[in-house]
Amino acid sequence: MKKDIKNFKIQRLLKQHELYLFVVIVMYSLFITYLNPNFMSLENLFDLGKSSAVMGIMAIGVFVVLLSGGIDISFTAVAISGQYIAANFLIASGIDNIMLAFLISCSVGVVLGAINGFLISKFNIPTLIATLGTSSVFHGALLTIVGTKAINSAQLPDCFKAFGSFDVFTLTKPNGVYYGLSIFVIVFIIIAILTWLILKYTMLGRGIYAIGGDINSAIRSAFNIPKIQFFIYCYVGFLAGIAGVIHISLIRYGNPTYIVGDELSVIAAVVLGGTRITGGTGTIIGTIMGVAMITILNNSLILVGLSSYWHDLFVGLIIIISVSITSYQNKMSVGNIIFRR
Amino acid sequence: MPENSEKFLEVKNVSKSYVGVQALDKVSLSIHKGEIDCLVGENGSGKSTLIKIIAGVVQPDEGEIIINGKSFKKLHAIDSIREGIQVIYQDLSLFPNMTIAENISLNQMVERKRKIISWHEINDIAEKEISRINKELNLEEKVENISIANKQLVAICRALTQDAKLIIMDEPTTAIAKKEIDFLFSVITDLKKRGISTLFVSHKLSEVLKISEKVTVIRDGKLVGVYNTKDLNHDKLSFYMSGRKITNSAFNYQKEKLEPKKPLLEVKDLSKKGNFQDISFKVYSGEIIGITGILGSGRTELALALFGLNKPDSGNIYIDGKLANIKYPKDAIDLGLSYLPEDRLNQGLFIKKSIGNNIVVTVLKSLLSRFNLINNNNKYKSAKEWTEELNVLAPSLDTSAQSLSGGNQQRIVIAKWLATNPKIFILDGPTVGIDVASKSNIHHIIRNLANRGMGVIIISDEIQEILNNCNRLIVIKEGRMVKEMDTNEVSEDKLLEILSRKIV
Repeated sequence: MKKDIKNFKIQRLLKQHELYLFVVIVMYSLFITYLNPNFMSLENLFDLGKSSAVMGIMAIGVFVVLLSGGIDISFTAVAISGQYIAANFLIASGIDNIMLAFLISCSVGVVLGAINGFLISKFNIPTLIATLGTSSVFHGALLTIVGTKAINSAQLPDCFKAFGSFDVFTLTKPNGVYYGLSIFVIVFIIIAILTWLILKYTMLGRGIYAIGGDINSAIRSAFNIPKIQFFIYCYVGFLAGIAGVIHISLIRYGNPTYIVGDELSVIAAVVLGGTRITGGTGTIIGTIMGVAMITILNNSLILVGLSSYWHDLFVGLIIIISVSITSYQNKMSVGNIIFRR
Repeated sequence: MPENSEKFLEVKNVSKSYVGVQALDKVSLSIHKGEIDCLVGENGSGKSTLIKIIAGVVQPDEGEIIINGKSFKKLHAIDSIREGIQVIYQDLSLFPNMTIAENISLNQMVERKRKIISWHEINDIAEKEISRINKELNLEEKVENISIANKQLVAICRALTQDAKLIIMDEPTTAIAKKEIDFLFSVITDLKKRGISTLFVSHKLSEVLKISEKVTVIRDGKLVGVYNTKDLNHDKLSFYMSGRKITNSAFNYQKEKLEPKKPLLEVKDLSKKGNFQDISFKVYSGEIIGITGILGSGRTELALALFGLNKPDSGNIYIDGKLANIKYPKDAIDLGLSYLPEDRLNQGLFIKKSIGNNIVVTVLKSLLSRFNLINNNNKYKSAKEWTEELNVLAPSLDTSAQSLSGGNQQRIVIAKWLATNPKIFILDGPTVGIDVASKSNIHHIIRNLANRGMGVIIISDEIQEILNNCNRLIVIKEGRMVKEMDTNEVSEDKLLEILSRKIV
């Protein structure tokens, strides 16, 4: 019996998309290191972590939505709204405090997320349509009411720049140059762990899996569906708010037309990580690996000297190939699709 | 009937009407503690409404429900669950993406208003319930990967975690094989020993007669009667259900009249790895061939192979003596084959579309006007002809297919294929989930087709259906043909024995 369980665990591991993705990432990394040994350096890895934080945090939000069987494409509009409103408030008030920036940005995120949650849970609007609509509304409102002017590095309050260059620890290279692990990575890790805990150990989290698995069964099991949906979209908004502040701290420049337009590549990263677009199945680890894969790809093309225009092409190919492999495996294990009930 | 034990549930004179339709008219039903009861009735007889009323999902217009001595004028879903009534619907309401353990335990967690999950507790609860029904299941396996029969057991275990005193099962045996039905019945018998009552809602009369102690029959929303199972037999029960005597005469193959020389369809050594192996048989004009075997024996896979939906690895198919190259359903249709799928709702019909559109979907090309647009007059004419020919009862051709009863839906699927004027008609489970009267009508239609010279293949696990309507039958087991014989050479018992015998 013990052995059976062990075998089962191995079998299950082999069935998992994450394992294959991990192998692909490792092989690709080795290949790039062969072309450019700088790739595997600790400095570059820290760099990768830092630059993947924005996408990673948003991806975790998207992951939660996809898990529930929904989709959100307004999170980029929410992120830029949070960022731009927070930065402008700090400039206007003269208060130079990063915690306040987070507070404002996340509050904006939660409020806008609540609007999505309200529309979806109250009126049962399909999530794609609801967020397609609110995405335009949020971004349009931001540009008309708050403004369209970019915030350049000189105008940007110092707290953002300080936060952006804050490393939790630093190391020195032989040539005397410093490099360190950015606080962004820590924020990302904390969010990942927090989300994992919510999903795994709270009734709310299991409710999210339940809705994504079979919404009718979830209703019959007396889950409070509107409440769960409301939470999901508020949570995505909250994470988008955090991502917004990190984004402006990273690039030291605020433009209210940034981030919007990136939603599909974030969704792509989550899907690449093995989350089913139909809901119910997916893991945080997979999501992180999906983000890692896309970030590595982006970074490595530059390292091997290809223009960044190749990026989209490669991302597209990798998604198609990896998802095809998983789907094909499913098809093989279940037999002909027609027999599925 | 255990008169001395207490009544657990009593439904008294319950009526319910939906806009103008009297779904239930003064129906009563009672279940004693630890009793196994059946509720039978044809489609549309009000069975589901009655179950929903007991579950508290639908409120009756009048009447009284007494559970454990407590009288409820208005029973809400939550009251019903608290009093120990658990309904296992046909779709089982499980979460495919979650493990067996979680599926069993989650409802209890929700009910206890837990905020935080303890995985230890989840596993403990699941393990306890599974061992109580004497089954071994891997608790960590996801429900989407297990068989329907095991899913059903998971649903039963889940009901038991919520202190079920009465488990109502809606058509539990439709999708599972004989052996699994036996196990299910043994589980139900065990539950009886624990004082848990079961109300079994079923169409399959032989199963009703086998498992139950008491049968409640309703028809057209009215109570026909409550009978002790030992006083019933198949014919009596089907008479009570339908209100009609249904005669089952055997099909008579008119070989002399049709004088077929060469087979319409010949299958030679057809094999597909993991599906079926070395299948060879012939179908002559006017014949009805039965293919039988338990669920998972490869019978449906074989039918799909003939229709271009499941490519075989080797072997040949000849139609009218000519080698047929069937790669896609279109090839099969062009060669004069039709296939009525087992899953009528998902594969046989465009369930939300109108009857008219469903019927003409196979022959759209013939309806085109000279501008290559669909001519609505032609469409209506064609659809009308078929609904009249097959006696489809529907308010109009624009009614959606989902609003019809199972029997009428099936007649539409048949009509849609007859419109293509097929030479060979493969019917996979032609009367699954269809009531007795409609069933005999559909059998009548099929026989007429054969008498007019069509070659028919019926795939079914209902032995009666095969024996009464086919002239020849093939038994398939684990993908291999184990027997081919004329139906008049074999009795029901003999066939049952062949089916249950192990392959050596």
